[in-house]
Amino acid sequence: MRFRAKIVDGACLNHFTRISNMIAKLAKTCTLRISPDKLNFILCDKLANGGVSMWCELEQENFFNEYQMEGVSAENNEIYLELTSENLSRALKTAQNARALKIKLTNKHFPCLTVSVELLSMSSSSRIVTHDIPIKVIPRKLWKDLQEPVVPDPDVSIYLPVLKTMKSVVEKMKNISNHLVIEANLDGELNLKIETELVCVTTHFKDLGNPPLASESTHQDRNMEHMAEVHIDIRKLLQFLAGQQVNPTKALCSLEYWSLNQ
Amino acid sequence: MAAMLKCVMSGSQVKVFGKAVQALSRISDELWLDPSKKGLALRCVNSSRSAYGCVLFSPVFFQHYQWSALVKMSENELDTTLNLKCKLGMKSILPIFRCLNSLERNIEKCKIFTRSDKCKVVIQFFYRHGIKRTHNICFQESQPLQVIFDKNVCTNTLMIQPRLLADAIVLFTSSQEEVTLAVTPLNFCLKSSNEESMDLSNAVYSEMFVGSDEFDFFQIGMDTEITFCFKELKGILTFSEATHAPISIYFDFPGKPLALSIDDMLVEANFILATLADESSRASSPQSLCLSQKRKRSDLIKKKAGKNITGQALECISRKAAPRRLYPKETLTNISALENCGSPAMKRANGDVSEVSENSVSNTEEVPGSLCLRKFSCMFFGAVSSDQQEHFNHPFDSLARASDSEEDMNNVCRKEFNGSDAKYFCII
Repeated sequence: MRFRAKIVDGACLNHFTRISNMIAKLAKTCTLRISPDKLNFILCDKLANGGVSMWCELEQENFFNEYQMEGVSAENNEIYLELTSENLSRALKTAQNARALKIKLTNKHFPCLTVSVELLSMSSSSRIVTHDIPIKVIPRKLWKDLQEPVVPDPDVSIYLPVLKTMKSVVEKMKNISNHLVIEANLDGELNLKIETELVCVTTHFKDLGNPPLASESTHQDRNMEHMAEVHIDIRKLLQFLAGQQVNPTKALCSLEYWSLNQ
Repeated sequence: MAAMLKCVMSGSQVKVFGKAVQALSRISDELWLDPSKKGLALRCVNSSRSAYGCVLFSPVFFQHYQWSALVKMSENELDTTLNLKCKLGMKSILPIFRCLNSLERNIEKCKIFTRSDKCKVVIQFFYRHGIKRTHNICFQESQPLQVIFDKNVCTNTLMIQPRLLADAIVLFTSSQEEVTLAVTPLNFCLKSSNEESMDLSNAVYSEMFVGSDEFDFFQIGMDTEITFCFKELKGILTFSEATHAPISIYFDFPGKPLALSIDDMLVEANFILATLADESSRASSPQSLCLSQKRKRSDLIKKKAGKNITGQALECISRKAAPRRLYPKETLTNISALENCGSPAMKRANGDVSEVSENSVSNTEEVPGSLCLRKFSCMFFGAVSSDQQEHFNHPFDSLARASDSEEDMNNVCRKEFNGSDAKYFCII
């Protein structure tokens, strides 16, 4: 198994760091999947416990100047590693003014992901910072649990409002109730609702826009204003919103009974 | 006339003073106020005696500085100068110097003075419009400890801008207890301590290499790798933010303490940290330790020190059994001042002595916060006579040699007690 990659572009490095910070906020441990074209951050918390499950995909050529990998075997040309997400984000934090960042798989006493940064400094010589992040290699038999989740056809899909606004609304609601109801329809309307014995608070968002429907036929007879609703644990939603470091072009919320995806 | 202190500072001076208190608070929970003709020294030592901090404010730092010591005339014409023995709890003094930026802006004057009759230190802040804030802090009578470290004999000397240290510190997490400094004549590397990262397979190992041209001064006599406690490094960085002066680092071989200094003419700060001794480079017996105190009565001390040394040395060598603090605090108050001190050295002893050290160190584990220092035994400072060079060349001629005979020890002790300056050593 081999992996070596290098980032020299400042903007790419910045973006990669922010993604790593986002992952670190969502989960303590995560899986990194390295394949010839993509890099994935995977978090798999059992949904039955109300956990958050996450799948993040990066096209390697958008980030890395150099990228070489050799998987477990020729037929299974992938590498699955488990690491503490905070270790990676902290290592990347020191790389902010770097000339170059190199990541590679090494074995120093135990398997590590070595992040090596060449920093710009005021003098002629550069500073070299190295972090060896301990990792665990995930055996092939567990790979099936870490595959891309199948997103079923949703009842309603809607573009979310500015996440910052949504986050501040949800944060205030957290103080009142643990339980949040999200309602959305195909008319670009989204409601965030909490209900307790004493009070019921609803925040309405309008004109959000909906993505084109996947399968026209099923939904043609649907009433556009009909609201689909889901009940979720507010803390999990907040955890997701708090972790958002990367400003998405569009954030999509799909509601289907029993599932909520971005 | 009692021993006393009185000084006055402006707002910006208070900020520097407050930063010094904050920096020292990272080392210890207690602080000595020690005025002398050289200025006002703030001193502290940590509970496991492996870190010592001292910030000396020269008289010209203050708007007004006045101090006095009590001089006791005695029959045999040897006067005792009893200085102010003032020890304050950090918990009492630290909250007073909070919000330093706002203090700097808002106060017109700060007055600090002592009232020995009531064992109190009074700190007064004078604001605009006649507003005055007064704090009365009771102090404990306790001889200040002084560690004397001769920077000039250190093989390796570096001078860095605080910015460099700050950049290095972010590499390590707060859970990191020890860091290792490795230098060669060409470069400098700060890295996670190997000992630690091997135990915890979950810990990230980090290192930073810096070229020698980033230093204001870079003189390395020999390739060295030393390991010391990380927390105290942050303390000196806090203080350096107040002075904008570069930080000088003096060190030698593993085991010998490391000194971090900041000197900007008005204020001189010294932080002396114990370093981990190499397994292989241990001397056969502990070098003498000297945390000195400031009384100058030679006979009295000689006798007491001699007695202490004998007792301690024997304990040192022979005991293998029950854990007990090797260096009870009480002995310190009896120890006299040291004017010149040679090369400080810290040993994690081996052989017979090591068992004792291990035991004594294990006791210090009870002290909260010293867990990380369980591998560091107490700091040893060579108390050398004027033949400094001689001592340095013969590091194994330990003044505190293991000896079965009391006589031997006394002989050794007496040899050093000559000259007008009191030169003592003791095992603490």
